[in-house]
Order: sequence, then structure tokens, then C-alpha cells
Amino acid sequence: MRITQSMMQDNLLRHLFNSQAQMDKYLTQITTGKKIRRPSEDPVVAMKGISYRTEVAEVEQFRRNASEVWTWMDHSDDVLDKAGKAMQRIEELAVQAANDTYTPNERRSIQEEVKELRDQLVELANTRVNGKYIFNGTHTEKERIVEVNGEYVVNELAEPMNDVLIEVSKGIEFPANVNPDGVFDNELFEHIQNFIDKLGSDGDVDFNDNIEELNQSTLNIVNGRAKLGARMNRLELVEDRLGHQEVIAQDIMAKNEGVDFEEAVMNLLTQEVVHRAALAAGTKIIQPSLIDFLR
Amino acid sequence: MSTFHGLEMAKRALFAQQGALYTTGHNISNVNTSGYSRQRAEFVTTKPYPVPSRVQPHIAGQLGTGVKIGTVERVRDQFLDAQYRAETSKYSYWNTMSEALSRMEELINEPSENGLSRTMDQFWQSLQELATNPDNDGARAVVAERGLAVAETFNYLSKSLQAIQGDLKDQIEKGTVEKVNSLLDQIADVNDQIQKLEPHGYLPNDLYDDRDRLIDELSEIINIKVTYSKSSNSPNELEIADGLASIEIVDESGKSFDPPVKLIEAYDPDNQTDQEVNKLEIDFDDTGTLVSEVRVGSTTVFDDEHNDDMSILGSIGSFTALIEANGYVDEDGNAVGVYPEMLAELDKLAKEFAEAFNAVHSSGFDMNGDEGKEFFVRKDEFDGITAESITVASEILDDPNLIAAAVANKGSRNGENALELTKVFDNENIDGLGTSPRKFLTALVGQLGVDAQRANRMTGNTGILRDQVDHSRRSVSAVSLDEEISNLIKFQHAYNAAARNMTAVDELIDRVINQMGLVGR
Repeated sequence: MRITQSMMQDNLLRHLFNSQAQMDKYLTQITTGKKIRRPSEDPVVAMKGISYRTEVAEVEQFRRNASEVWTWMDHSDDVLDKAGKAMQRIEELAVQAANDTYTPNERRSIQEEVKELRDQLVELANTRVNGKYIFNGTHTEKERIVEVNGEYVVNELAEPMNDVLIEVSKGIEFPANVNPDGVFDNELFEHIQNFIDKLGSDGDVDFNDNIEELNQSTLNIVNGRAKLGARMNRLELVEDRLGHQEVIAQDIMAKNEGVDFEEAVMNLLTQEVVHRAALAAGTKIIQPSLIDFLR
Repeated sequence: MSTFHGLEMAKRALFAQQGALYTTGHNISNVNTSGYSRQRAEFVTTKPYPVPSRVQPHIAGQLGTGVKIGTVERVRDQFLDAQYRAETSKYSYWNTMSEALSRMEELINEPSENGLSRTMDQFWQSLQELATNPDNDGARAVVAERGLAVAETFNYLSKSLQAIQGDLKDQIEKGTVEKVNSLLDQIADVNDQIQKLEPHGYLPNDLYDDRDRLIDELSEIINIKVTYSKSSNSPNELEIADGLASIEIVDESGKSFDPPVKLIEAYDPDNQTDQEVNKLEIDFDDTGTLVSEVRVGSTTVFDDEHNDDMSILGSIGSFTALIEANGYVDEDGNAVGVYPEMLAELDKLAKEFAEAFNAVHSSGFDMNGDEGKEFFVRKDEFDGITAESITVASEILDDPNLIAAAVANKGSRNGENALELTKVFDNENIDGLGTSPRKFLTALVGQLGVDAQRANRMTGNTGILRDQVDHSRRSVSAVSLDEEISNLIKFQHAYNAAARNMTAVDELIDRVINQMGLVGR
């Protein structure tokens, strides 16, 4: 084959361009930290990249949702703790009042204290977190307990109660609230009211029924708290799993499209050597012609 | 044998070597001229003496009378030209296609932190946030804004795709059709000049080179076949003359269409028919974007009923790539092509996603306890959501409390419908898409990636093939300076020797004229 100078020149140029394109590729990989810039460089990596991004976004969101659930639960737990204590105090007072040595006057002062404690329980039932009533399910804008004709009853406007469901994992909707039925319900305030009424009456009074009733209500609150505790444990597990998922999702995403720096740098250096060699050889090839050797 | 036979012979040698030297000089001058083929002065011996006749002198054998330049030929292989042009057409097709797809890839910009899928993910996150805090005004406002961001990304993609489509249309009109027609005029013009020279026994090498260069350029735009015919019936016309070029468009495998599509039909010396040039003409549809008809001269080679491989699309080159990228109208009035199809897919995604989203939204209840309205609407008064027209209802943007986050009978501050809305993204049962919106988008990007990858790979492959043929072609035709310099020396020596020969003859004649017959003086 006849080879002319211009052919060699063009070949050299073409190979230099190719080598420069390779260098550009590796350099971009290093500067962006990504294996690919556009889907055509590796469609599979690109498609997976989109899915993994969605996954990372989802897990991030679920973790945020989980922390929202924690806010609800922590506050509920706190409230139930206080409510339990208040009920215990009322029970103690009932046992005291049942003591026959108490005079009606003394019983009235107990009554005052019980009223205070009842008000405290109403307040607790109407606890607001970030402006939301937390013991009303999804009716967060309405009070749980309202006063109707001097009686404390469950707000009818907030019925029926629906759990606040928050998605903490794909398809897993977690109730964030404590169901107030059986905790802050009409029965509780009826029992307290019964006790208060009895404290106001003169003469011999039998408090045994009240003690039983109040004990039942205390148990209800404690049970509610125990259930909440169990749910908190479950959430801990879910959150733990989400933490792992987030790490794994990010890791997989990085492995999918992230560049292996050692490899990219090595590639770049190798390419640089090739490029230099090509340039050096180029000056040797292009220069001499027959004219250089003629007198 | 005449007295001056030697002088004449030496003179002829001087002239011939000089001519060869000048040809060498011409080669050296044009070493960097693109499309130039090296030329060779072909020496032939002149007619020997004596020629047989009635009065021929009886001498031993025939006496040579020297040399002359028979022809100055260019060194070129037309077979390689044909190969080169076929490969150029293929390369040009894939290169154009690859550029069109690359622009689309850049626009779609996936996977990235600001593409459509990212905006959708952010919208999804805002809905989750709303589901956890349905009574939070901030969460509501974020949903409205993120929804708008999704709509605007659709708008942006659609408009930008259409803008690129507009560029492609310009490229078809200015870059190819006008260029083809200008090339055809130039080739026809060169044909005319060649036709005037060849009958007189000339080889217009430089005109041949011009014509070949123009035809090379034409082959980038469309696959062509060149046939050559004699330019005259003149007895002086040389057997090795290239003749006149006729050009026809052929399909990808190099076969003629039925009927043949001729761009240039050369002058026919037998029937005295003039050279015929059929210009390329193109029409666009009513919208002014899609190709509706292509004609060569008066022959329709492409319209809504002829758009298969039997039409001009069966050929290959930047022209067909541009038509396929820009899009054309098929027999059912549908837009076919890379860009219109991507636009249609985006429209489909926007429409189906918006409708599925609206359906869930309408089934919920807003903060005021009213039924949800349409979340996504069209910007104008027409029906049907498209990628270009999608937006968020202005009432919702003005008052995010109208976002229906709640389900029926569970209080206005319930967030369950917002949760349902997040499920639209992964709902696999959207009939119009056949899959979930997220998967549809991923598949769309994947398909684009595969198509672009194929186009890039084919560009590389066909580019290598073209370069190889070009290499072979230049191996034959390109000027080698080493070769020319050695020829220069060769011819210079021959010239010097011829001059020396003339001196020798001169001395002989000097002997006869000045020194003969002087005996005894």
C-alpha cells in the first residue's frame, strides 16, 4: 500500500483526537464523580439511576415521616404518664375519703382537689402539639373533651374518631395517635363526676363503688400507655430498618453510577502516557521527507 | 534518415521530460488540495521510421523517433469512489441521527438532580409531608408549588423539544434541500464543461476532480449511484475519458428504486437529448413542522402514502436521518419520527398522570370539607392535558387549602387522600401507560439511551469503515512528496541527458558542416 505524508498526518490527527476524547471522558468521570453523563453511555445504569434516586427519596421521606410519628408518640406517652399519675392521686383520695373518720368538710376539701385533678385531666386530654389536638385522631382541630351543661363529655363534633395514619415504609401505614376511646372517654369523666358528687354529699357515704370505678379508669389509661409502648418498640424496629435501607439505597446508587476513582485516575494516566507517546511519535513521522536528505 | 533526425528526437525528449516535470510540479503544488488526484504524464514512443509505404527506404529495422506525452492521466479508482460514497451516506445518516438524539438526551437530562423524575420525586415527597401534616399551610403550599414544578418541567421539555424540531426543519430546508440543489447545479455545470472538452481528445483531470468532490459532498446527504456515459461520438474522444456523470438516488443497499429516481440525467450524444437536472423539493404539513411530501423533479418520492423503504426513506444519508428525526406524516395522519414520538410519549405521560392524579384528588375533600377539584388543568380553554399545556389549577395555587388531602367522613384534617395521591406515582394499572408513571418515565429514558447508544455506535462503526475506504482511496490518489521528488530527479536527469544528446548531435552536424571536405587545404 502506498502511504503518503498526508495520510499519515490524518491518521495521527485522528488517533490524537480519539485519545483526547478518551482523556476527556476520564477527566469528566473524575470531576463529576459519575460514570456516565448521558443515558446512551450506559442505558442500564441510567435507568437504574432513576429508580435508585426514587428509592433514596422515598426512604428519606419515610424516615422523616417516622420522626413525625415519634413526635406524636412521645407527646402521647408523656400525657398518658401524667394522666396515670393524676388518676392514681384521685384513687388515693377516694381511699382516704372512704375513711369514715373524714368529716363532710374534710371531704369537701378533697372534692376541691379532685376537681382540680379533673380539670388537669381535661387539659391533658386536650393536649396540643404544634397546635394540633393529639387525642382526637384526624380531628386535630377540635378539642377532645368539652363542657356541656357542667359535664365533661367527649366532643361530638370530633366523632367518629379516625386514626392518624402515617406511611413509614412502602405500604406500611402506622397509626401515630393513641386511640382516646377507653382512655379519655365519657366513662372516665362520669366516674370522676360520680366521685365528686359523692364527696359533696353529707352523712355516711360508701365509696367502694367509686374506688372500683376509678381503679378501672386508671387501668384503662395504663393499658393505653402499655399499648403505645409496644407500638413505639415496633416503630423503633421500622426506623432501624429504614436506616439500613437508606444506607443500602445510597450505596447501591453510588455503586451504580459513581465512578471508581482509582480506576478512573489510572485510566487517565494510562491515556496520558499513550497520548504523549503518540505526540512524540508524531513529530518523528511528520517531519522528514526525501527533501531533507537531498543536497 | 535525415540530418536533423537526432536534433528532432532530442527536442521531443526535452519537451516530454519538461512536460513530466511540470506535471510533477502541479502535483507538488496541489499536495494539500482536497479532492486532488495525483496526475501522471504517460510517455509513449513516437511513430518509428520508416512507416511502411510504397516509397519506403530499405533500411534495417525501424528506427525509433523519440518520445512524446501520450496523455496526462489522473490516478484514481472509481470503484473505491463508489465504496467511499456508500459508506459516507451511512456514516452521515448515523452521525446526524446521533446528533439529534444527543440533543434530546441533553434536554431530558436524566439521571440527574434536576430532571423530570427528580421533580416528580420531590412532588411525591411533598405529598407525603402533606399526608403527615394535613393541616399545615406550609405543607399545602409546598404541594401546590412542587406540583407546578412538575407541570413546568413538562412544559419546558415539550417546548424545548419543539424548538429543536424547528432547528431540524431548518436543517432540512437550508442544510440539505438547498445544498443538494446547489450541488446538482454545480455538477451539471462541470458536466457541461467536460462535454465541451472531451470530444477534442482532452482529459480534463482537474474538472474530474472537481466533479468527484461535489459528488462526495452529495453522498453525505443521500445515497447515490453515479453512472458515466460518453460525452460524444467524436473519434477524437479518448477511450479513458471519464465521460459525463448521471446521478440517481439508490436505496441503502445500492439498488435503484422502481421507477429509478434520477437527479441528473446526462446529455445523450446518440439521441441528442439535453442534460436533465431534477431538483429536490420538500413540503411540510399544515402545522409547518412535519414533512408531508418530497419530490425529485416532478416525481413524488415520499408522501403520507409512500413512507416505507420503497420511498426515499429507503435510502440513507443525512437527509433521511433529518426527516426521521424531525418527523413526517403517515397515511393515518399520525406524526412519525424521533422528536414527534418523544413529544407524544411526554404528552401521554402528562395526560395519564394528570388524569389519574385528578381522579384521586377529586375523590377527596379539601380543608373546607368540599370535594376536591381538578388539581392539574390545561393552560388554555381546550380539552385534554398535554405536556405543553399542563399546569396546576390557579385556584389551588391561590388557596392551597383546596388541596383535597382528606378522605370522606374522616374530618377535613385527615391526610389519607394525600397518601392515596402518592400512590398514583407507582400505580401500575394506568391503562393509557400500561405501567406506573414512574416506570413509564424510566423506560422512556432507557429507550432513548438505547437508541442514542445504537446511533453513537453506528456512527463509530460506519466512520471507521468510511475512513478505511478513504485510506485505500488516498493510497491510490494522494500525492506523495517523496514520490514526486524522486520523479522530479528522474525527469531532471532525463532532461539533462536529452540535452546532452542534443549536444552530441550538434557536434556531429558541426563535424559535417564545418570540418568535412577540408583535406589538402
